[in-house]
Amino acid sequence: MSNTNLTRSEKLFEHLALDGVIARLRDLEVHRDGLTWNRFSGSLALVLVALLFLSGAFMTFYYSPAPGAAYDSVDYALFSVPFGEIIRGVHFYAWNILLVLMGLHLARAFIFGAYKAPRQLVWISGVFVMLVVPAFIITGDLLPWDQKGYWSTHVRTGIISTVPLIGDFLVRLLQGGPLTGIVTLTRFYVLHVIFLPIVLVISIIIHFHFLYQRGISGPLSGNDAARPKVPFLPKMINRWLGLFLLATVILGLIAWIWPAPLGNPADPTDTSYVPKPEWWVLSLNQLVAIFTGPLTVVATVIIPGALVGLIIALPFLDCSPERHPFRRKKMMLVATIIAAVQMGLSIMGYLEHFGELLP
Amino acid sequence: MNKRNLIGVVLILGLIFVGVFWESQRARGAAKMTLVAAKVKKAPIGLDDPIWQKAEEINIPLEGKAKFAEKKLVVRTRAVYTYEDLYFRFVWKDATRSVTKAAWQFDGQKWNHLEGNEDRLGLLFEITRIKNFGSQGCTATCHGPYRHPLRDYKFSTGTAGEKGDLWHWKAARTDPYNHADDQWLTVPNEKTGRRDDAGKGGDVRNETEDKSRPLYMKNSAQKPSKPEFLLMNEAVRITDYSGFKAGDIIPYRLPQNLIGSRGDIKVFSRHADGGWTLMLYRPLDTDHEDDVIFDPRKMYSFAMAVFDDSGDEDSYDLETTITLKFKR
Repeated sequence: MSNTNLTRSEKLFEHLALDGVIARLRDLEVHRDGLTWNRFSGSLALVLVALLFLSGAFMTFYYSPAPGAAYDSVDYALFSVPFGEIIRGVHFYAWNILLVLMGLHLARAFIFGAYKAPRQLVWISGVFVMLVVPAFIITGDLLPWDQKGYWSTHVRTGIISTVPLIGDFLVRLLQGGPLTGIVTLTRFYVLHVIFLPIVLVISIIIHFHFLYQRGISGPLSGNDAARPKVPFLPKMINRWLGLFLLATVILGLIAWIWPAPLGNPADPTDTSYVPKPEWWVLSLNQLVAIFTGPLTVVATVIIPGALVGLIIALPFLDCSPERHPFRRKKMMLVATIIAAVQMGLSIMGYLEHFGELLP
Repeated sequence: MNKRNLIGVVLILGLIFVGVFWESQRARGAAKMTLVAAKVKKAPIGLDDPIWQKAEEINIPLEGKAKFAEKKLVVRTRAVYTYEDLYFRFVWKDATRSVTKAAWQFDGQKWNHLEGNEDRLGLLFEITRIKNFGSQGCTATCHGPYRHPLRDYKFSTGTAGEKGDLWHWKAARTDPYNHADDQWLTVPNEKTGRRDDAGKGGDVRNETEDKSRPLYMKNSAQKPSKPEFLLMNEAVRITDYSGFKAGDIIPYRLPQNLIGSRGDIKVFSRHADGGWTLMLYRPLDTDHEDDVIFDPRKMYSFAMAVFDDSGDEDSYDLETTITLKFKR
């Protein structure tokens, strides 16, 4: 029997048989310091993933994954569909900012030792989430079938082919043949809109599962007693909704003022086109420029693989309970050196590829 | 909310946005040359209007073909646009002003064609996507039936769904009426893929049925509006050829005003100081099916060719295309 004192929304949830779920969410509590703004990167990253899903879903309504039609379908969605340009712009800026936010999220977790016991699996699952996102970018880049996407894919498959033993197999698996063509586009499309979203959602659920079980990292003092809690619903949910609205408006404005670029249609016969690397792969690209010939595998597999392995294994390499960054000088020094090398390589790559554009 | 945290968040977000914007606006390929059309409130009223200074000038390098092989020509180009129209301004060196186009000359016995031709400038845009046009330019419009001479079919598209918009300024045939010939490109008929836009006009060949002598001459009773040219609507039929003496010259191609969609492109031109200065302008959207619609939010590729007192084979061509962007 329904309770006459219920609010309209509570009545609606009751009709939908969701009142139990809502009650459980209300009972759920999170540490209040999880709402502080200096921990915004994780929440904002989640919001951007939601925005990417929504804007991507909109674009699939108009997209045609065939080389002869893909470019024009994107062109149509951009310029003939109301708000098409803004929605694609939101998608474009969202993934760029998502990469930055994930970097900040990782850096914060590292600096404040959030990967330490008992949160090792929170860290590792987060790293897996981070590894899925570049796959989205790589597959999504080809979809407009423009010169930049086509030739960037050509370069990337070239890099993949350098993986010892399985490189050529992987390339054929991705391309569906010896060249980037209609089968490649279909496969990248399926990966981008079906397979990778499923993998990402599962990775995020696993990340949240461990986060829920092990909690967010507490203050560096280790004094957990002074950490008040707040209900997940409505406090955290409202914060996410607020962030979602804010991100949508800001990205929409940015996309309106500075539309996302769309190059010329892909021409597979135009071998004179040399794609320039995006900001997030400048360091990797520079490594490839340094290690050439038989040493290419060092740049394409060994160094990136070792770095990813190091990041995943971090909780087991640094087992001490100490979390304060100033008392983990060795770890901070190693991380600073790695970050500096990466930054240096990125700057070198930037000057090499974009130097002529500098004033 | 803590004030220090707020400042930190704002600073970080600001840095992210600036960085992302900076990167997104960078060219991410071996970029083609880009012509940026500046947005202006007032349309340029001529070739020397100071408003042209608002647009960045680019030097478009053209390569000589056939008799101009190994030669190069640079066309200094600017573009501006208003709410309604798009304007181009081209400047290139050309020592001689060629506007005769195979004029007739009487040698006392018979009529012969003189060798002179005309100066021209052609632009090609896409109305609908032309396969590989963006990267190959006019090379992508070399099509024709199997085993037919390419020379006869060199200017057409591969399929009926691919359409080009051709802007063809002709110093002898369209300039007298301050127009460029507005044509379009499609699959080839018996000879070419080039078609005239809907409308009327274009030049008339001044020749008798047996092509042995001119059919029209100037009307001595009427002051010509363009003394250098013989406009078709000012010409009279020759009824008596006995009055001509050796050395007399009569134009061969008689311009007619271009009207309808064919006359969409208006022109200002000047030949001075050893070169041409040319302004072509047209509505962004002519509302004609045989014209490209310019949407300032989009980018367009266009090819260019310049002809110096020469026919179609002898030209200065662009190897690829130029990207036209509209500054918002």
